[in-house]
Amino acid sequence: MKSRTKKLRLLLVLLILLVAGFLISLLEGPVETNFNDLWNLIINNDSTFRTIFIDLRLSRALLAFLVGASLSLSGAILQGYFQNPMAGPFVVGVSSGASFGAVLCIYLGLNIRIIGFSLQSIFAFASGFAIVSLVYLLSQRKGVFKVETLLLTGIAAGALASALTSFLIFLKADSFEQAVFWLLGSFALSDWNQITAVAPYFFLCFIIAQWLAKDMNLLVLGDDVAQSLGCPVNSVRKIFLVISTFLAASSVSVSGIIGFVGLIVPHGIRILIGPDHRHLFLFSSLTGGIVLLYSDLLARTLLQGELPIGIITAIVGAPFFIYLLSQRR
Amino acid sequence: MALIEVKDLSAGYENGYVLENISFSLKDGEFLSILGRNGSGKSTLIKALQGLLKNASGQITVDGEDIFSLKARQLAKKIAYVPQIFSFSFEFSVMETILMGRYIHQGRLESISSSDSRMVEEVMSLTQIDHLKDKKIAHLSGGERQRVFIARALAQDTPFLFLDEPSSHLDISYQVEIYQILKRLQEEKGKTILSTEHNINLVIPYSQRLMFLKEGKIRALGEPEKLVTKENIKEVFDADVEIRENIHSKLPEISLIPKEGEKS
Repeated sequence: MKSRTKKLRLLLVLLILLVAGFLISLLEGPVETNFNDLWNLIINNDSTFRTIFIDLRLSRALLAFLVGASLSLSGAILQGYFQNPMAGPFVVGVSSGASFGAVLCIYLGLNIRIIGFSLQSIFAFASGFAIVSLVYLLSQRKGVFKVETLLLTGIAAGALASALTSFLIFLKADSFEQAVFWLLGSFALSDWNQITAVAPYFFLCFIIAQWLAKDMNLLVLGDDVAQSLGCPVNSVRKIFLVISTFLAASSVSVSGIIGFVGLIVPHGIRILIGPDHRHLFLFSSLTGGIVLLYSDLLARTLLQGELPIGIITAIVGAPFFIYLLSQRR
Repeated sequence: MALIEVKDLSAGYENGYVLENISFSLKDGEFLSILGRNGSGKSTLIKALQGLLKNASGQITVDGEDIFSLKARQLAKKIAYVPQIFSFSFEFSVMETILMGRYIHQGRLESISSSDSRMVEEVMSLTQIDHLKDKKIAHLSGGERQRVFIARALAQDTPFLFLDEPSSHLDISYQVEIYQILKRLQEEKGKTILSTEHNINLVIPYSQRLMFLKEGKIRALGEPEKLVTKENIKEVFDADVEIRENIHSKLPEISLIPKEGEKS
């Protein structure tokens, strides 16, 4: 089939970009390194640059990839969930909500882990979930979502959460950098602990999403139609809302708010390969990871110091979002 | 023996019941058309009969089984539903749309089986949409789209077929075409069909029975020959009509009387 070769070709392109992205990420940085150094580390076990390659650059690249994949998967789910290709974790306010939870936890000084979950990610999940549930309830009438109401409530709720986040940060007067981190996102603080805080959730949520991908195809037709086709609408909806929030919250709690990736990537992939969620989830995750991998590369090499990555994704993403709005009939 | 029995059904939305004390049965192999004014509860009834409304009381059984205790998956093997035409934000192709009807016959991770593709081909030829296979739904005309949704409902392979205003937004030629297809499905496939409709004249030759709904209650239920009278139409639709005989079918047909300028 024609669409099949198209998907395989896209997959190939993405894999090449992925490998190239990781390679460049490993070689680029404030300390001059070249391919020989990397070769020596891998083949000859020369540990001169081990810390730089593995603990700094590789962990950062992996984290950027995982966060991008999580946000895009979350966006792909939310777009189906709200039957609306304009949705995304940032647009419906989940990211801002999660960021508020994470900052609140830090502000209260609760740096504890409960059965493997850091309290911070639990806070992030809870407040992100509260925001998305609120937006869901306000923007829905008889099972139908109005785009305008969805976007407006999402933006309003997100603005409120961001204001509260800023307020908390402002109370701790020393923390301009913290404010930038939480509101504009960054991978500057990445380490292996953060990867273990994101990776398992991403893979778990991905498997669940893939398992329910056919149900999502029915869900975008509206609840009545989906149910008449045999989809257990209520339970499927609950599961999707939980995992999309989880993906966004775990991303936000390690890297702050990185806007627009979760909106644009799934939207673009849908244009390329069609709306079938069985493929959409996989391709969105992969592409989202690659997009953030390269964005982070730009963020840390474009200027002398670090640029918050949210600035880059917003500069590219916001005009695209406006373009999408103007394309609506 | 396919049979749906409804007893004392009251149903509606959050703000109260729209339908009150509906009782009737849908018999094996018949074509029953539900008629009534806007807001009379036609669409609500179609939804309530599939257990889609949470706010409902009374009893509905399909082949003796209570629909409120059936899972979505089990019910979808009994009743297929063609909703009113609506617009999409997601561009599925005709093929993908029809395959959605096979959801209940597939495992979660399974792709198309040979029985799926046989069924899809059959329903596409029944509804004459083979040539549209790879087109996007959004690019089809109203009549084509309606046939795709009927095809999807057929792919579900159920004894019952429910349709909500299948002819709305279609021109006359498409309207007749849709009803011709439905008639064929009833006769060749033995489908039991329940359909809501606005156009009384359109459904009379195709329906064994009509149901007149007014303000959420059944006003009349029976054969078109008995039901389509001047008095009934006046009472149910608040419209003045003359009844004449259709020159082809010899069945009754309504003829609208233009309203005179009313005195104020």
